[in-house]
Amino acid sequence: MFQLISLQWKSFFRSASLAGNIVSKIMMFFWIFWSILMSLSLGVIHGTGTSILNPEGEKISDPFSWLNKEMIYIIGYMMIARYLFQKIPILNIRSLLLTPLKKSKIIRYAMHQTIFSIFNLIAFFYLIPFSIMLNLDPDTGYFNSSNLLMWNLSIILIVYFTNFLNILLNKKDKLVIIFGVVLTLIKILEYNNLLDISLYTESVFYSLYDTPTLVITPLALLIYIYYYVFNFYRKNLSIDTGLNMKVKDAKMTNYQWLDRFGTAAIFLKNDLRLITRAKRARSTTIMGILFVFYGFIFMAFDDLYGETMEFFGLFFSTAGFMFTFCGMVPSWDSKHYPLMMCQNITYLDYIKSKWYLGFVGTIFTTILSLFIYSYFGFYYVVVIVCAGLYNLGVNSYTTLWSGAFNRTAIDLDSNKNAFGDKKSFNSKTLLLVIPQLILPWVVFYFVSDSYDKFIGAYAVGIIGIFGIFLRNMIFKIILKTYKSQKYSTISAYKQTN
Amino acid sequence: MITFKNLKKSYSKNIVLDIDLLEIPKGQAFGLVGNNGAGKTTLFSCLLDLIKPTKGEVVNNEIEVRKSEDWKKFSSAYLDESFLIGYLMPEEYFYFIAELRGVRKTELDNFLNQFEDLFNGEILGGKKYIRDLSKGNQKKVGIVAALIGSPSVVILDEPFANLDPTTQIRLKKIIKKLSAEKEVTVLISSHDLQDVTEVSERIVLLEKGKIVKDIKTSKKTLKELESYFNKE
Repeated sequence: MFQLISLQWKSFFRSASLAGNIVSKIMMFFWIFWSILMSLSLGVIHGTGTSILNPEGEKISDPFSWLNKEMIYIIGYMMIARYLFQKIPILNIRSLLLTPLKKSKIIRYAMHQTIFSIFNLIAFFYLIPFSIMLNLDPDTGYFNSSNLLMWNLSIILIVYFTNFLNILLNKKDKLVIIFGVVLTLIKILEYNNLLDISLYTESVFYSLYDTPTLVITPLALLIYIYYYVFNFYRKNLSIDTGLNMKVKDAKMTNYQWLDRFGTAAIFLKNDLRLITRAKRARSTTIMGILFVFYGFIFMAFDDLYGETMEFFGLFFSTAGFMFTFCGMVPSWDSKHYPLMMCQNITYLDYIKSKWYLGFVGTIFTTILSLFIYSYFGFYYVVVIVCAGLYNLGVNSYTTLWSGAFNRTAIDLDSNKNAFGDKKSFNSKTLLLVIPQLILPWVVFYFVSDSYDKFIGAYAVGIIGIFGIFLRNMIFKIILKTYKSQKYSTISAYKQTN
Repeated sequence: MITFKNLKKSYSKNIVLDIDLLEIPKGQAFGLVGNNGAGKTTLFSCLLDLIKPTKGEVVNNEIEVRKSEDWKKFSSAYLDESFLIGYLMPEEYFYFIAELRGVRKTELDNFLNQFEDLFNGEILGGKKYIRDLSKGNQKKVGIVAALIGSPSVVILDEPFANLDPTTQIRLKKIIKKLSAEKEVTVLISSHDLQDVTEVSERIVLLEKGKIVKDIKTSKKTLKELESYFNKE
């Protein structure tokens, strides 16, 4: 066990992107801290049935049955969040296989790493205050403490069940998309009072409280899946399986309709091929597009969050592709970066082509958001357009600029590896996003506070328009940064993790 | 004409390249030999502005490579797999390079026809992405792509390694034909002394970053090189 930990330790400290890794670890710590804080406070809020942020707002009259009813959605969406964000345990398995370490030891180590994942911990941080508040409040009914404890245990077991299920689900993009769509459809049916499935699942979850001996069911499920995953890993853990994947027949694509866009088209064509052919690029793009729905989270709870947060959510909806896919530029070219540096194209044109990609992608997500949110009224049209303009005029540059410091090589062929890192999202790119969101947020907050929310949105849009017009000037700065980083980028990309 | 002047590259105190002056006239078929770590790839990387020399300058056709990007217009290279794009099919990759070099599609098709022998039916019209090709076939794709658009400077690092004997012979023919055109400067590095003497007019031997021998190729060259490496 110790050797394995020390290997990971070395790969962290000897990596080319060490400084970035440390920063991202620190940010990660805050991120975890924030998640814990949020779960704690939500646990208290839901347990008491009142919102501290908005005491005037609606109250939950029966928190326990409310939670049992929502449980199916919470677990469902957490499952999707896990799939997108939670890291699958990865070790450099190929080289470890030839060492005297026992296979089962390697597998256990990899699996046990997930136990303390934040996705599991927040369940504790939510459930404990929730249960305490429930028990303290005489209005919400008198709960049998031991039954409540067993209920908690059952839920935790279910959470760990999903934790191991997630390891199995790795690579199954389609399945997870279908799952998400079904979950949303169920919610829509419920919302329109057509069919409320959660009424049935509520009684299932409630029975875990009512009949504590039922804890045996989630326990059995957990044990089953633990050994299933263990055996699955074991079967796949040899040199030849997983490494010799079936090669699908390749198909040529021309994308001739893009040719009218000149030099940029040459690269856009390749980027389209990248997205359609490389798993990691594909799932990143899907992620980026799914962010279009992000605004709903804040619109649905506008009681709780207010106008500024709603703006923030809608802002993010148009920026999804930019932040996810373009946030990893130029890493997508990391494997063939020397080629790009030697071809008959200037560095400026190369960077511009990357910018075009973000530009086109953002226009696409903005139009998509318009389709979705315009339904709710004119104000939302204004917000989406202004947020889109800001992303085109400011964030397209900042994302590109930060890419100059991107030292993480992406192994596009990693699907050849049985346990390669196929995750579409890396926490570092997400963290870089935070400063890019603060400025529009601040502008909107102060302007809408002193005038009104329309003018607040316009102010953000106007900044974006300025940015679009200053293009050539900004490119000069970006080019300078890229040139100064060129050699270290090339040598960092040479490292294969 | 390519000139390396006072070129030095060191990592901390370890000097990997130290060249006072090396001039390669236009149209020369230039071979570079040396053991591992002699600095062959480093020299090429400096010429392509992929690494920053500690000192000195590299001039390619009157353009200092660190100051201007204009050398990219007439130079091309294949150093290793990082010059390939794995998720493209060979044709798509060729078209991509051709588009960048301003070569029209029909011209490219004609150009590719002459490599039918070399490709041996395994490259064009297949159903594979470059990432799924064998190492040898990947190399063929990379080398041929480096010849698209008639560049006047062609740089190939270890072109013969990993290739089967038939392909080696075919590739040698191609390189000889290329260097017969007096306009094209060809730079090749190799571990294989016989291969490199066969295709180059001039051979430079590097040892720990320094030029040890600079020979005009003749019948005696192979023996001379062999005895040098044997001595050590």
